[in-house]
Amino acid sequence: MVDLLAVYVAVFLTLALYSMLYKDTAWYRIAESVYLGVAVGYGVSLDLLYVRNQWATGGWATPGIMLGGFIIALVLGVLWYFRFIKQYFYLYRWPLSIIVGTGIGLALRAVIFVQFTDMIKAQVKLNLWIANDMMTTFNNILIFIMVPCVLLYFWFTGAKIRETAPMKVVDKIARYTMMAGFGSAFGYTVLTRFSMFIGRAQFLLGITPNPPENKIAFIVLGVLILGSMVAYDLFFKKKS
Amino acid sequence: MSNILRRIEIPIFLTIVFTLIQVVPYYVYIQPLDDAASYIQRWILIVLALATFVGVISILQVHGKNVAKRSKGWYFSVIVLVFTIVMALVGLPLAEVGLGDKNPVYLFLFNYMLQPLSGTMYSIIAFFIASAAFRAFRARNIEASIVLVSGLLMLISNAPLFTVFWPPFKTIGTWIFAVPNMATNRAITIGAALGLIALAVRTLMGIERGYLRGGGAEQ
Amino acid sequence: MAFLEKFMDMDRRWVYLLSWIFVLAPLLYPLGLPIPINQEAIKWYDTIDKIPNGSVVIFAPMYGTSGMPELFPMTVATMRHLWSKDIKVIVVGFWTEGPLVFRTLLTQVDPTSYGKVYGTDWINLGYIPGSETAMASFAKDIPGTVSSDFILGQPTTSFPMMANIKTAADIDLIISIETGTPGATEWLRQWQAPYGVPMIVGCIGVSVPGMAPFLQSGQIGALLPGLTSSAEYELLLKKPGLAVAGVDAVSMSHLMVVALVILGNIAYFATRGSKGGKK
Repeated sequence: MVDLLAVYVAVFLTLALYSMLYKDTAWYRIAESVYLGVAVGYGVSLDLLYVRNQWATGGWATPGIMLGGFIIALVLGVLWYFRFIKQYFYLYRWPLSIIVGTGIGLALRAVIFVQFTDMIKAQVKLNLWIANDMMTTFNNILIFIMVPCVLLYFWFTGAKIRETAPMKVVDKIARYTMMAGFGSAFGYTVLTRFSMFIGRAQFLLGITPNPPENKIAFIVLGVLILGSMVAYDLFFKKKS
Repeated sequence: MSNILRRIEIPIFLTIVFTLIQVVPYYVYIQPLDDAASYIQRWILIVLALATFVGVISILQVHGKNVAKRSKGWYFSVIVLVFTIVMALVGLPLAEVGLGDKNPVYLFLFNYMLQPLSGTMYSIIAFFIASAAFRAFRARNIEASIVLVSGLLMLISNAPLFTVFWPPFKTIGTWIFAVPNMATNRAITIGAALGLIALAVRTLMGIERGYLRGGGAEQ
Repeated sequence: MAFLEKFMDMDRRWVYLLSWIFVLAPLLYPLGLPIPINQEAIKWYDTIDKIPNGSVVIFAPMYGTSGMPELFPMTVATMRHLWSKDIKVIVVGFWTEGPLVFRTLLTQVDPTSYGKVYGTDWINLGYIPGSETAMASFAKDIPGTVSSDFILGQPTTSFPMMANIKTAADIDLIISIETGTPGATEWLRQWQAPYGVPMIVGCIGVSVPGMAPFLQSGQIGALLPGLTSSAEYELLLKKPGLAVAGVDAVSMSHLMVVALVILGNIAYFATRGSKGGKK
């Protein structure tokens, strides 16, 4: 019984969200409200479980620097909630600044290697002449030209140097490169979004490993929801 | 005393100190500093985890107000409040009283509500993309034509329907991915890295204060 | 001409309806189109197949329920492949829903059918809050950062496979299945740059273009982009699943979008002439 209820609830919420494709209706608003509530609430469990496990088995209960640190962490954890009290808002900034500082530090220390020098090295290592592979040679030459052009395009945005003849060529190469890149991004975006829809469609049709009961629920609830929206439109159109 | 505590220099100082604690030992090995960095990395996860109720309280504030004032659509706010509170409560890690991530209500809400809703919400964009592609994707000039052609070729290359009948479609798609797309993203990656470094330096100098803005709360 | 103008201005709900038809029809009546196996899937398969026996691999489902339709098939297929080999697998998530997604996987794939014992051959360390900070802490001190496992709630160090695993230096490969941030860039910054741990990434289509520079530079060893490649991988494993079942629908939906774009442009250029060359 619970399984059937679960199936119908899941299918209903899926179709209720999709109902907005027809029109923004109460069905959609209900599903959206449920989503908001559940999405905000579910993370609480895992976050607090982590803290509890750290206390139980993480060594933080050891008197000394560990216990002291845990107590300070708890205090800072409470300071987050002064965000909601205007008079003491400044206290909220303390844990925030610690988090931001640590995050920036961790990102900063390796970004210069991962996203800068390694990229430069890969660019410099491009083999611009491979005797028995003209295609790769051609591609490498293209990349060798395109990357600096795109970089220069961004770096000199708004500068007077953009008006000069060499920069106009650079601009053109950069723009065409980026347009081709963005076209590629569009293609992949379509793949992702339709893959997500296909996943939901497989769920609605009860395709294994989804429960086969989903299909009947899809038909029943689909007719009900779509029927109610169309009937509502007709009724109000008729009235007006 | 509270005037001193309100000073913006305190959080700026904290940001600088905690940034340097992470950066310095990475380049200069000083045992105590390295130990401090490791300790703080573990310790800060607890501080972060304890912020878990900020979202819940924000939701309760906004939607609680809607319900109290009977604003337009207040009944939807009731739904939001009910599900937020129920999900947060049943998810509390108190396995001794049957609550937590193995609680049947929590699992039901996750498996049969959050999972379908989450997947569906992001899949709706597929329809908008199809509609937008039909209405707005036009070869108005050279650049738009390049986007169009490149986009179409990428679409074709991602669909076995086309590549099975003419395999070079896949080769073309791979070329677009590996050459112009790679070049664009390499330049963006390098630019983003420099931007991050600039942001970090500005933060260390106390110039960047955007993260400290905000006046807080309801009256 | 009037027809073309009407066509261009048609109610967008007709496009939505077309989308439903082009996706549902091939799911209900599979076309059975052959699926060519491409280099990305082969590289992914070979990379995992060549992992030496006794290696320790981190498997990170770095996505939430929103990414499940596209990434769950590759997650299932990859775990089957990993469990079919003699390697230790540590499952860990830096996205809140990761461990819960993995729990769904366990309802479909039984590790004991591969002869795998929990705690000896694989372990689920659950979710660690903190994104990049958590990844850095995890790299520095694995048992300290995650003191209890996710399934049994027992101390991490009590499991046989964790006896000699202390830091990132003890890990041989990272497999990250991801949708965004934290993701590959954070793994590279906190695991590869300091400790040299190699990684491979499976991701949604939207993230794929951004992976290209890391793939070309060799920072990422292999990339499995999206549902179609997942289907190819399932075929290589000879275990067709949801991805293979969905590929016909991918083809038809893409055909629809291509046709709409082409028809839209034909109508645009045809009516542009009649409007006096207006752009």
